[in-house]
Amino acid sequence: MVDYLWNTQSPLQKALVPGRHGAAGAHVGVTLNEVRDIVLVQVMARRGKAADAAKAAKKLFGIEAPATPKAVTGKTATLIWSGPDQFTVIAPRTDEASQLAAMVQVFAGSASLSDQSDGRCLIRVSGPRGRDAIAKFSSLDLHDLAFPVGAAANTSVDHTAVNLWREANGADGHPVYNMLVFTSFADSLWHTVVDSSLEYGVEAASARAA
Amino acid sequence: MRIACPFCGERENGEFTYLGDASPKRPNFAVDSGESPEGVEDAFYDYVYLRDNVAGYMREYWYHGGGCRSWLIAERNTVTHEFRSVTAAPGVGAAKPVQAGE
Repeated sequence: MVDYLWNTQSPLQKALVPGRHGAAGAHVGVTLNEVRDIVLVQVMARRGKAADAAKAAKKLFGIEAPATPKAVTGKTATLIWSGPDQFTVIAPRTDEASQLAAMVQVFAGSASLSDQSDGRCLIRVSGPRGRDAIAKFSSLDLHDLAFPVGAAANTSVDHTAVNLWREANGADGHPVYNMLVFTSFADSLWHTVVDSSLEYGVEAASARAA
Repeated sequence: MRIACPFCGERENGEFTYLGDASPKRPNFAVDSGESPEGVEDAFYDYVYLRDNVAGYMREYWYHGGGCRSWLIAERNTVTHEFRSVTAAPGVGAAKPVQAGE
């Protein structure tokens, strides 16, 4: 019998090379982070139970689940709209089993849950030129008026489904965008993002979700 | 061509897939309706195969697979590609129950 060693690794194990890339100089235009150790659950309200699911989300997370393409951040989790009567819950991984158990309990009967924690890869794009880099491969209008803090979108990048949302501006005052992508497409998307960012100077790293 | 998804807003047409005419309704015969087998066959033949070739506005199914993954019904002018309206197809989302025959 073969003994398997289940070696868990990042989908960006090969693609992500930490450090400085692209345009030389002291100035970093785009900061790219792979955000690791997340708990990610897709919540889809059952037929006729959309209001109950929203109530359950409010009870567990203390925030209103988004009914339009928005990302709402509470104390313990961020809820990202992902379609009519469905949203994605993302939280830093603390104790995954109890985090999931709490959701199973509160959404029982009102929504179907699907654990995507290891199914998606989260890439965070920030820095003064982050928006310019994304604009090269996304057809979304990312202007402050069209895509302000808290805006979210399900969209296609390079024929790949991506959940994109904008969180609060970084400490440098520049926008911060999050991109959720299927793990098997993460490598490809990462290269797209890096290639778009090279001319601005890139700082790449892998970080734990906080 | 840009399509205004009622959920996501205006997006490029590459995110959408076209299905076709949204007007045919599936024939629905009661067991004892008295309809002849030929009549039933004709009705289904019409429903499955026969389509109008409209020059102007027609109701069409579009699927927003590159976005919210919802089926939509759009009124599009086949001559100018102008969209008059885009609405959710019946049964999209969990809020409304699906009507029989939709």
